[in-house]
Amino acid sequence: MGIEFRNVSKHFSGASVVDDLSLEIRDGEFVVLLGPSGCGKTTTLRMLAGLETVSSGDIFIENERVNDVPTQHRDLAMVFQSYALYPHMTIAENIGYPLRVRKFDKAQRAERVNRVAAMLEIESLLERKPRQLSGGERQRVALARAIVREPRAYLMDEPLSNLDARLRVQMRGELKRLQHQLGTTTIYVTHDQAEAMTLASRVAVMKKGRLQQFDTPMNIYNSPANRFVAEFVGSPSMNFIDGVIEAGGFVSDGLRIPLSVFPDRSRITLGIRPEHLQVFSEQCDGAIAASVYVTELMGNETFVFLSVGANRLIARAPADFRAEVESKVWLQLATDKVHLFDPVSGNALSTDYTD
Amino acid sequence: MRSRFRYVLLIPALLFALAPVYWMLTISLKSEVDQFATPPRWFGFTPTLDHYYDAFVARGFGDYLLTSAIVAVTSTICALVIGTLAAYALTRFELPWRLNRHLSLWILSTRMFPAIVTVVPLFLMMRDLRLLNTRASLIIVYTAFNLPFVVWMMRGFFADLPRDLEEAALVDGDSRLNALVRVVLPLVAPGLAATAVFCLIISWNEFLFALVLTQTDAAMTLPVGIAGRVTQYEIKWGVMSAAASVALVPILVFALALQKYLVRGLSLGAVKG
Repeated sequence: MGIEFRNVSKHFSGASVVDDLSLEIRDGEFVVLLGPSGCGKTTTLRMLAGLETVSSGDIFIENERVNDVPTQHRDLAMVFQSYALYPHMTIAENIGYPLRVRKFDKAQRAERVNRVAAMLEIESLLERKPRQLSGGERQRVALARAIVREPRAYLMDEPLSNLDARLRVQMRGELKRLQHQLGTTTIYVTHDQAEAMTLASRVAVMKKGRLQQFDTPMNIYNSPANRFVAEFVGSPSMNFIDGVIEAGGFVSDGLRIPLSVFPDRSRITLGIRPEHLQVFSEQCDGAIAASVYVTELMGNETFVFLSVGANRLIARAPADFRAEVESKVWLQLATDKVHLFDPVSGNALSTDYTD
Repeated sequence: MRSRFRYVLLIPALLFALAPVYWMLTISLKSEVDQFATPPRWFGFTPTLDHYYDAFVARGFGDYLLTSAIVAVTSTICALVIGTLAAYALTRFELPWRLNRHLSLWILSTRMFPAIVTVVPLFLMMRDLRLLNTRASLIIVYTAFNLPFVVWMMRGFFADLPRDLEEAALVDGDSRLNALVRVVLPLVAPGLAATAVFCLIISWNEFLFALVLTQTDAAMTLPVGIAGRVTQYEIKWGVMSAAASVALVPILVFALALQKYLVRGLSLGAVKG
């Protein structure tokens, strides 16, 4: 069951929200649309659901063009950010609603509702009304309503964003398991890069209505297509240093890094992830002198904020790393892990490094 | 202490509102001698049901009551059905040329001039349609006059309702109309009830159009029937009061029955918590 966006654009009274989006989603894939708010990811999902018209381009579900197919005939299921449970119906009626609409008889409806409720462990809630439920319980009910029938695809619009952190992580795992169990194509919208990385088989990163990169989480993380993707994915964010290429290395204020690959321009932005920076208390060979701006102990590790000349960098250090503010430390870069970006366009210059 | 103070404020307001009603009720129960006694007899007269008998058995006020009920209920239902659908379309579908806004204002503008301005044109139209002296003429006119009110009331209720709910219904496989009936309307039911009460009261009490468009007993509504007891020879205060008192009952019952519903916020907890 494939889904395809072909050159899809959406304008709202002149403003472009989604710009020339092309995306091919394979049967059974878990695709996450990732981006900051206003990047067009929700609009993309709503166009697929038929809740928003397409300004130009085509959307295909199973090779059938669905641009003009009304929502109710697209055979999709959606989980809304607000859950959108029907407040005047009981939980059982809520979950059974898609079946009632499709004229399933009462016995069949009850049987399916009970099965799904058991799967999501909400059997005890079936007689209650949505307002009597906690956020996590409502989330499960919304999920149950989506999976009670076998739609062609699940659409999820930030389904976990209203849950507290602990519950979010728990539901994230359950969602992944559920999708694995059901094997149904799922398109999931989020601004949380951790959700995208953990859930997706492929991630589509969007910015201002344009697709930035569409690839597996591993490739998105290891070979970001541009500075935006590099910055958006990963926590803490990748470090960026503006500088120039000079005599066999990258030079910026207070540091010099030997490079094995040379881009065809002199001004570049170098990116390096915090885990590829090693911090030492004592001077060692080829290390860069830096001063500690502040350290943040996270429990299992320490984030070290550093000043190198005018540059600010973040490094990951072991939990037992201790350094006073303004104390002097030394930095070692994994030079095979640096990313080079064009400082103007932000595009990655080369992501393929060999020793 | 504070609640007692509130009652102190309420008493004059209640007296002001209810004194005429009390006066009407007592007049309907007084003999004609007692009606004109000076000083007026507020209490302690011998009640009689003569005027009620006179009105509803001898003079056919029962027919007026029936006409009033048919006209008010039918026109309210028509206005609610048409107006609700119009309001839904105006809040949910984006029309070209900013018509959502323009149409709404246009609809409202039909209520901006006094009713009397439209009486003569309506009379001529109804005459040409051969609908004078029919209940149908009143139903049409009341529906038309209540429509702007219904559209604007319901527009507000629809606008307040999160779109997610009906969108969920659409994704679940409902048609627009089904989503409206099964999901949206149950949630705006309190608003619908409030609107219905207002429409019913307006239609029930309407006098001007009924007076002009209907002259025969068969199509006369209660307000016109009551006013007809003021003749150049006599004014039948007792009969008029009896009929007016009875006219009060259906609206009172309806409003009381819906009162609980009017204040209930059903959509509470509809979207997250």
